[in-house]
Amino acid sequence: MYKSGIAIWYNVTNLEATVEFYTKRLGFQIDFMDEAGRMAIVQTNTADCFIGFSEAENVVPVTSSAVFEVENIEEAVEQLKARGVTFNGAIETIPDFVKLATFTDPDGHSLELSQTLM
Amino acid sequence: MKTKQVIEMAQDLSGRWTIPILLSLKETGGRFTPLQHRLDISPSRLSDNLKKLESKGIVRHLSPYERRHPLLPEYELTERGLLLQEAARSVQLTENALHAGPLSAKPWNWPVMLAIHYECRRFQAIRHMLQEATPRILSMRIDALCQTGLVDKLLTAVPRPGYDYLLAAPAEQPVKRMESDLLSLL
Repeated sequence: MYKSGIAIWYNVTNLEATVEFYTKRLGFQIDFMDEAGRMAIVQTNTADCFIGFSEAENVVPVTSSAVFEVENIEEAVEQLKARGVTFNGAIETIPDFVKLATFTDPDGHSLELSQTLM
Repeated sequence: MKTKQVIEMAQDLSGRWTIPILLSLKETGGRFTPLQHRLDISPSRLSDNLKKLESKGIVRHLSPYERRHPLLPEYELTERGLLLQEAARSVQLTENALHAGPLSAKPWNWPVMLAIHYECRRFQAIRHMLQEATPRILSMRIDALCQTGLVDKLLTAVPRPGYDYLLAAPAEQPVKRMESDLLSLL
């Protein structure tokens, strides 16, 4: 029934600032951008996984997180910090399960890095 | 009665941005920033205009929780809005035919033109037809319409000496067509 792939869509207040954040800071690739339509899509590090953005007058930050799996969370956090990403607090560990580091995009949408420990 | 409704429709369409918004809302997917870019208007001004249209029941503003996808509309036309969108097309065509600029940009321009079309020849008759307008604004609009050559002002002696207002010859047919378009929407 399902095809391979998943997409997450966000309302954002400023398309350019958002695209800058997801490409220059997080390092994802731009897949599609429609300047007149004020929308864009980035391709994540995972095949068939995309994040779409569309400008809106009123944006309510999403509290559920898009979680990106990394090889080594301490290194990843340092790298993203160096590129200007601000994390909410320190890395949290759920013993024998996962390490998590949370941050937000320019509109306050919640994002997370995770390193699975199992 | 229908006469009043036609005039009311024309007055609802007045304002610098009303017709441009109504005619661009659909092509921009009902979303705020594409509309703002297309109209080349400041966000606060667009927002004020949309609020005004919302308060008149012409557009509906969907809350972020009502929108099921970020690409879906933020604003949509109500039933009245859809009717006015049709009327806006007719008004815009008429304005293009008259070559006198966007008359609808200023309130009461079109109601005055329509009142004259409905044979309100004297100032008092126009005033009686457009009771919500102040005499001052009516006389300003009538003077300006005379200057642009859309309305002729004639000194007549009957029933008593005074000015009669008539649509200028080139305006007659376009206004007649527009009036029948608006009437057909009711």
